[in-house]
Amino acid sequence: MKKNKCKFLWLLSFGLILSIFASAALAGDTIIVAQDTAPRMMNPHGDDSDSGLSYFANFFDGLLQRKGSGGELEPALATKWERPDELTWKFYLRKGVKFHNGNSFNALDVKFTFERLSDPKVSEFTNTGKSIASVTVIDDYTVEIKTKDPIPWFANNMHQVFIMDKESTEKREFSDVFEKPIGTGAYKLVEWVKGSYIKMEANADYWEGVPPIKNVEIRPIKESSTRFAALVSGQADLVTGIPVELFDKVKNNPKLEIIQKPARRSIFLGLENKIDSPTADIRVRKAIYMAINEDEIIAKIMRGHAFPAAQIPDPPTIGYSADIKRLPYDPAKAMELLKEAGYADGFDITLTGPNDRYVQDAKIAEAVARYLAKVGIRVKLDVKPKSIFFPELTKGILNFYLIGWFDGTFDMGRTYFKLVHSRDEAKGYGALNGSLYSDAGVDALLEATADIVNPEKRAKALMNLNKLAMDKVAYIPLHYQEDLYAIQKSKGFTFNPRPDRWIVYKEIMP
Amino acid sequence: MGTYIVKRFIQGVVVLLAASMICFGIFQYSGDPALNMVGQYATFQEINEVRESLGLDKPVYIQYGKWLVNALQGNFGVSYRSRVPALGLILERFPATFELVSIAVFMAFCIGVSLGVVVALKPNALVNRIIMAGSLGGISIPTFLIGTVLIMIFAAYLEVLPAFGRGDTIQIGFWRTGLLTVSGWKHLILPATTLVMYQLAVLLRLTRAGMREVLTEDYIKTAWSKGLAPKTVIFKHALRNVLIPVVTITGLQFGELIAFSLITETIFQWPGMGNLLLTSIYETDQSVIVTYIMIAAVIIISANIIVDILYAVINPKVRYE
Repeated sequence: MKKNKCKFLWLLSFGLILSIFASAALAGDTIIVAQDTAPRMMNPHGDDSDSGLSYFANFFDGLLQRKGSGGELEPALATKWERPDELTWKFYLRKGVKFHNGNSFNALDVKFTFERLSDPKVSEFTNTGKSIASVTVIDDYTVEIKTKDPIPWFANNMHQVFIMDKESTEKREFSDVFEKPIGTGAYKLVEWVKGSYIKMEANADYWEGVPPIKNVEIRPIKESSTRFAALVSGQADLVTGIPVELFDKVKNNPKLEIIQKPARRSIFLGLENKIDSPTADIRVRKAIYMAINEDEIIAKIMRGHAFPAAQIPDPPTIGYSADIKRLPYDPAKAMELLKEAGYADGFDITLTGPNDRYVQDAKIAEAVARYLAKVGIRVKLDVKPKSIFFPELTKGILNFYLIGWFDGTFDMGRTYFKLVHSRDEAKGYGALNGSLYSDAGVDALLEATADIVNPEKRAKALMNLNKLAMDKVAYIPLHYQEDLYAIQKSKGFTFNPRPDRWIVYKEIMP
Repeated sequence: MGTYIVKRFIQGVVVLLAASMICFGIFQYSGDPALNMVGQYATFQEINEVRESLGLDKPVYIQYGKWLVNALQGNFGVSYRSRVPALGLILERFPATFELVSIAVFMAFCIGVSLGVVVALKPNALVNRIIMAGSLGGISIPTFLIGTVLIMIFAAYLEVLPAFGRGDTIQIGFWRTGLLTVSGWKHLILPATTLVMYQLAVLLRLTRAGMREVLTEDYIKTAWSKGLAPKTVIFKHALRNVLIPVVTITGLQFGELIAFSLITETIFQWPGMGNLLLTSIYETDQSVIVTYIMIAAVIIISANIIVDILYAVINPKVRYE
């Protein structure tokens, strides 16, 4: 008995020594990242959120890609693309690309991928999938996609649709496809231990050349104070989602460098305009807009980490118009407008919003309620988890709500059909128009843009639309968020954040 | 004993049924999983299609009945969030939680009982008074605060212990263990300490109260007057009787911690089951939530039964007829 115990102890200590050596082997071109979101799965079509796509973008490639901090559309698995007519998109594919399992990439994989998009069992891109009428393989390296209706932003979205290997995806078990990515991407998955880490290694055969960082270890940490501790103690080289409260602490730490990037997402307020509701009156809408002290929200609640917004799209989006200005903060004028509209004594309204979705979301809603109280509008605050808020939004039962948005296609058309167009269940318009806002003028102008292909004409039409929507106060814009990252100075990584918050490791330089 | 176990088993089944029904009741008000599975740009038609394919358009009693039939066959459904079987997703994380909680409960038991004995023997000594006051802190300071403070002190400022995660792990069959590596043990210290705080305080106070009561009993006085060694009197005569409620509570705490150490797991990003539960609640992943609640109920019920049996073993006076 005693002898056995001894043996066990020996074995144990031997194991411990081994593991010390194992951990010492890691060094050099390895980056350890503490990320605020964990992946849901490794099936690149099963999650269309930015946090999911951020992971997929390293294992897979789209036909096109958006690189670096500007986000311009560039070739990837397609070397060029054209639009012969309104409904047709033609992609010329890159030759000599291999999937991680050695299979060659060709047009059949593209056809397979686009047909897979419309299957709700494996895809959250059903909207894209079902908009496609046919995918035709012209030859091994040319594909023609026809859409049912003209979709001006179709190519703009091609960096989000990742190409899968037809042969292995069809052959493998469902659960294997959902956990082990086989793509053409710059990195191969080494190991994914759920809740712990994702390890990946550089793809030596990558068509764009081997990425400079050879090993990546991502450790998702939900709790922001723990992420901060991981950063300060040097356990992570790069940390995403630095909370605004801890900004100064990171900034003042000599070992760390903070990286700020204006985010694409804008935060704004939706407001009903049903006949007989007080907010149907444009004067009341303007009064609410003017009663909110946005500069103070940015200074006090966002601690300076936000930029005032005068419209929903951000500057790089097609349809952004620099001519649109915010209405000034002017509570006296707001009260005057309310009086003119017949609401000198104010009215009651419920402001709904999520409390776990956007930076400081619940606090922003509280502040709005306080500003409105000053001009006599009695706001009942109703903030709740996003899992309950978004179903209510989809039902369209809200009067007044806080929401944030940005469009991955860099084209405002798609977003406006979701957010601003009157609700039309058959056509699928207005699915996120939470208060059933409806304006015939805005709808008509928006529908007219759907056929406009020419980029300049399109930009002009969308700018006009945007101007009209803001004149009518379809939404009350508040601010654009700012993304905050931190890196260890001593590691010397060059990291330029992307506007879409994805972390694409081939873009990071050691 | 046999009939007793059968009785407890039947009770357990009733509890499981009740818990699962409550889960389905709550699901009616806790968000729409279909909405989380269709993507941001889905149309109403697409949302409805997904809802139908999940059977979420049916009345709740039909949904429940279907779930029950499948569950009885061992099929707990597929996670809405990651679309792989819910049961596997949870069991994969069981070793992490089990190791953390076992170490924590073991530490709490050893330290709690020994301190309890020491404090009971000389209740008025200054050190012992300080220990008792400290135990009040252990009971009343919330876990998330203890965890955050420990991280800030030992990980962020002193930089002696890691702030999060499980460290290097070794896979042995289906079991992924962190107990065979130095880094695994290092990573265990802070979260285990966080869990120990409360448990330790409870066990300490329980042991102390029991000891003080037992030490005034006649048979202890007899033992002293017989001239037995203090070691024999304290450990063999007194502590054995005190241990009965202490073991009971330890067992119950063990079951509860396995099932619900989610706050500690989330703060330390410990890849255990509790961490998964919290994420699933945020994401309205109903199949994972209900499966988790079932597993938790089974663990707690079994812990109860085991404690009852142990009770009979330690205390021959107890008989289950």
